[in-house]
Amino acid sequence: MTFSSGDLVYVAPFLVLAASGVLLVLAEAFFAGKDRSALAGLTVAGALASSVVSVVLYRQMGPSEAKLLFSEMLIADRTGYVLTALFGVVAALAALLAPAHQRAHGWVIGEDYGILLLAASGMVILAQAANLATVFLGVETMSIAVYVMTALRRRSRRGNEAALKYFLMGAFATGFLLYGMALVYGAVGTTSMVHIQGRLASGDLGLLTVGMFLMVAAFAFKVAAVPFHMWAPDAYEGAPTPVTAFMAAAVKAAAVAAMIRVFGQFMGGDRLPYGVIGWASPLVVLAAITITVGNIAAIRQDNIKRMLAYSSISHGGVLLVGLCAMGLGAKSGQASLLYYLIAYSLTTMGAFAVVAYVGNRDNERLDIDQWAGLASRHPAAALAMTVCLLALGGMPPTGGFFAKFYVFKSAMDTQDQQLLWLVAIGVVNSAISIFYYLRLVTAMYFKDARIEIAPTRSAALAFVMAVCPLVILEMGIFPGWWLSL
Amino acid sequence: MLMNIGFGHFLVLAAVLFAIGAAGVLLRKNVLIIMMSIELMLNAANLTIITFARMHGDLGGHSFAMVVIAVAAAEVAVGLAIVVAIFRTRRHADVDKLNILKH
Repeated sequence: MTFSSGDLVYVAPFLVLAASGVLLVLAEAFFAGKDRSALAGLTVAGALASSVVSVVLYRQMGPSEAKLLFSEMLIADRTGYVLTALFGVVAALAALLAPAHQRAHGWVIGEDYGILLLAASGMVILAQAANLATVFLGVETMSIAVYVMTALRRRSRRGNEAALKYFLMGAFATGFLLYGMALVYGAVGTTSMVHIQGRLASGDLGLLTVGMFLMVAAFAFKVAAVPFHMWAPDAYEGAPTPVTAFMAAAVKAAAVAAMIRVFGQFMGGDRLPYGVIGWASPLVVLAAITITVGNIAAIRQDNIKRMLAYSSISHGGVLLVGLCAMGLGAKSGQASLLYYLIAYSLTTMGAFAVVAYVGNRDNERLDIDQWAGLASRHPAAALAMTVCLLALGGMPPTGGFFAKFYVFKSAMDTQDQQLLWLVAIGVVNSAISIFYYLRLVTAMYFKDARIEIAPTRSAALAFVMAVCPLVILEMGIFPGWWLSL
Repeated sequence: MLMNIGFGHFLVLAAVLFAIGAAGVLLRKNVLIIMMSIELMLNAANLTIITFARMHGDLGGHSFAMVVIAVAAAEVAVGLAIVVAIFRTRRHADVDKLNILKH
């Protein structure tokens, strides 16, 4: 048990994010009353630097090489670096959305940027976690930072309420996560996930089962799986749009990253998921309910942020399908999950960027009717939103289509096609989801504008609105490279 | 007569504390009481971890518990700040009356 400074190189993405996060929070003190756009620029630089470092480290690791760091606390492998690069990019996109939205809606708060990077640093820990203690630390670093970001608009009653609901539900889930970890620890006598894997068969079955169920429930809270999803629509609606985008894209991806580590990799295999510890049995049920309930609730929403919130709940269900497939030993499981996470995160950032663009100070314009006729006045924004919505609905030629296709395909690859029923539910729900995505598209293209739309103009916002749909289309037309990650 | 206090007693105590905490979160309406209940849950889990660490003779559990204590303190600090913000805009801290955001 010695500290090896050589390992620090492998956690460079975390170090870059954490250091720039702390520096940005301090820098805010010197920007009182000044223009905060410079802070946004520094945030983008820090986040992208961490992504670049991730890419460099990714190229140094062999395809199936894995290196345990700091007495088996963290793990360095290609999966982890794909995810850390993704979190860096999403944090950079969220930072690009923030300045224009802050100016347009009067919440100029510089702390937003530093805390954004600190949240991303927690996500990076989750992507590289190899120990229950680091999973807990990562979840909490991320969650606490996001609670703060949700609450940043202190005088907004909606913002307050969203933050409190999110905080109470999140902290409650943390209690379950920790108690679940405590019971699993009691059964196997170690928190290192590498060793847990080997000792599961000999561990106390009662403690393991209860502990595993509690952990599944806690993670279900974090990915907003039904019936643990009640906080999500409220938190998404009440938070400022750039924060909502970050929550919907990155927080969900990070929670899934943690589940990939805990369930998919360390507790997967032929016997464990259904047999010895049985985490897959509750998870397949949660996945089925989540996809269905999320979709049906989304149909009823008139508020775009709530509609996207329920749609993201439904996407969380599909991610759980992929996770079960991966845990049950489907070979393409992990690659399809990573593809899905990348496509979903970028699509979500793009969609919320358009939401931030269309609203202005007088009117956030979150009602679907208020988007009527957007295409005639602002064709580019309508086009960007359409591409994002088609991707969310899983239509070709966008990346959203291949994301769903490959996740369902990997679910079919499991032994005896035991997830066939889940795939059937998923496909039916994809068809249903087209309905509410197209409702917004119809409003934009086929209805006449009743009110003049004065959008929030900003180069950074336009950049996000252009880049995200383009990358999603690229992912859909040339999916090969993305799948080989 | 003094009873022999073993690991089992600690584990049962922790389980009871956790159940009380979880019930408190679900049943109480005042935000501060709910936060106290959450703390109770976290500390019950901590007690469980420490007990198992002694049982298995594993120092990793002890350090895990220290991490949890630090994290819980940070969480409460943020939570109380949110409660102060809520109280400033509404003059109450009753979760049942927070219903601007519709379901």
